[in-house]
Amino acid sequence: MKILVIEDEEGLRESIEEYFTEAGNICETASSYQSALSKVSLYRYDCILLDITLPGGNGIDILKSLKENSHPDGVLIISAKNSLDDRLEGLNIGADDYLVKPFHLSELKARVSAIIRRKSYNGSNLLVFNEITIDLLAKDVKVGTTSVKLTRKEYALLLYFIANKGKVVSKNAIAEHLWGDGIDMANNFDFIYSHIKNIRKKLMEAGCNDYIQAAYGMGYKFTAQ
Amino acid sequence: MKLLAKYNRVNLITIIIVMLITGIIYYQAISYILTGQKDTDLVVEEQEIFDYVKLNHHLPQTFESNDQQISFTPASPGSVKREFINTMYFKQWGQDEKHKKHKHRREGEYESARGLISSVTVGDKYYKILIVESKVETEDLIRFIFLITIGVILLLLLVLVVTNRLILNRLWQPFYNIMSELRLFNIADSKQIPKLDNNIDEFKELNNAVIDMAARAKNDYQDLKVFTENASHELLTPIAVINSKLDTLIQTENFSDRQSKLLNDLYSAVSRLNRLNQSLLLLVKIENRLVHDKQQMNLRELVDEMIIQFEEIFNDKDLKLTYELDDKEIYASRYLVEILLSNLISNAIRHNQHGGSIIINLNAESLIIKNTGDNASLPDEKIFTRFHKSSGSEGSGLGLTISRQICENFGFKLEYLFEGSFHTFIVKF
Repeated sequence: MKILVIEDEEGLRESIEEYFTEAGNICETASSYQSALSKVSLYRYDCILLDITLPGGNGIDILKSLKENSHPDGVLIISAKNSLDDRLEGLNIGADDYLVKPFHLSELKARVSAIIRRKSYNGSNLLVFNEITIDLLAKDVKVGTTSVKLTRKEYALLLYFIANKGKVVSKNAIAEHLWGDGIDMANNFDFIYSHIKNIRKKLMEAGCNDYIQAAYGMGYKFTAQ
Repeated sequence: MKLLAKYNRVNLITIIIVMLITGIIYYQAISYILTGQKDTDLVVEEQEIFDYVKLNHHLPQTFESNDQQISFTPASPGSVKREFINTMYFKQWGQDEKHKKHKHRREGEYESARGLISSVTVGDKYYKILIVESKVETEDLIRFIFLITIGVILLLLLVLVVTNRLILNRLWQPFYNIMSELRLFNIADSKQIPKLDNNIDEFKELNNAVIDMAARAKNDYQDLKVFTENASHELLTPIAVINSKLDTLIQTENFSDRQSKLLNDLYSAVSRLNRLNQSLLLLVKIENRLVHDKQQMNLRELVDEMIIQFEEIFNDKDLKLTYELDDKEIYASRYLVEILLSNLISNAIRHNQHGGSIIINLNAESLIIKNTGDNASLPDEKIFTRFHKSSGSEGSGLGLTISRQICENFGFKLEYLFEGSFHTFIVKF
């Protein structure tokens, strides 16, 4: 997939670029309004990560120009402004999602994957990872032909892992993804452990390989190896 | 004591004292003048007696006029000293006053009088003369004057009281208006203190001073809020960078236990920093009433969702949850109500002991969230102030401040009680 990161903060831009660059992915960057505008008018992307406050202009205008030209690129707004009005404005103009800074890269990746999935799988709602098949509409998970019954959170966690396959996902990121920002149970993330244990058990009982690895007590990694 | 009452009291006391003193002086002066006049009359009478004796060489016939008695008594020569005296005058009631005679069984009454003792020599005989003149008219006059004085005092008091009631109350009205405006003054509110219409300099000055002060306080408060908001905004980007760098760092793998422990600590510190920052931003936003997504909703559904959301965490801490929820329609921001519920429920979890219990009740009047925990009441009002935390709490210290502010925004009341070993938070609709 081809992604454009429009972000003026160098540290953040580099991290995102590094996180998204992997086999089969192209990740381009733009750090100012002008360079971003010229890129989006010349090339098409599967998903554009768009910062609102840019040197030289407003990210919203880039979004408007995309929509005026009927470009199909998915757009995810990343903004420091966590106001409902901004969010609604962005979504009304045609952004696909809105993520507030600061965020975990794994969360960003999961959101981008969801946008690209919605854009490109038109009609087909199947997400396949080796022997795991997920029907995104029916929210139904199968290992081979065996159905696996997952709870709402376990299902969300599995999708999150698949979107971040091959990456170490921190426990903080998992907790925030499943329980929202409001979760501040501090250092006690034991409940995540029991969640992972359950999901692993259910998948393996259905004959699935064990893809989930604990990573140094910091998080987990979903990997095919 | 009200200013008016105090002023009235001082005023009344002064007036009474002054009037009394005036009355006494008046009385003394008039009675001095009138006595002087009586004395002159007495001297004239004495002179008449002398003239009569000189001319006729015998004593005049004593007769009794209306208010005057003259008597002669023989005395040894030189024993009488001429002087004026205050004495009594026995007045016989006349024929037309029979009813008085009958009533009092007496022939007359005593009246106060002024007398002159003098002497006269007729031939070789020496007589003492006593001329007594009734002062009853004088006394009537004085009584009359006294009554008028009392009347004037009473009238003055009456006028004073009425004036104070009617006029002073009205005069002070601007003051009370300013007071009530001050009482309504809310620093976070955009409402200004209005300029009152009145032409009294003092009140105008007071009004202006109050308006100035309110505007200055609001400005300062606004500046402070803008600063908080800007500072929090500026913090977001570096936090985002740290977060993303940490996420990138953990991809590099091969960490020792010690390194991963350090990374974990970093993660939780950054996420605390982030939550704190978000809370500050949220607080500013709520105080400025910048969240405008009010809608009709069933609070029961939200509480239900929240309970499901926290299910794993209840289980993880072995908390026993009992709840009884009635339907309750409210008109509020869904976003803020979710934050409110999340804050209250996560507090109930965080400050609970392992194996404790949580009780949630929702009815038409209130939402009650109770939890077990430390067996001691929390400081009632302090817990709602910013950055108040129980020791060892991992929270931001803003949760309850935010919760109370959210409640205030929608006209609810958030209260804390400690009853029967339960920490109880009540949202009253």
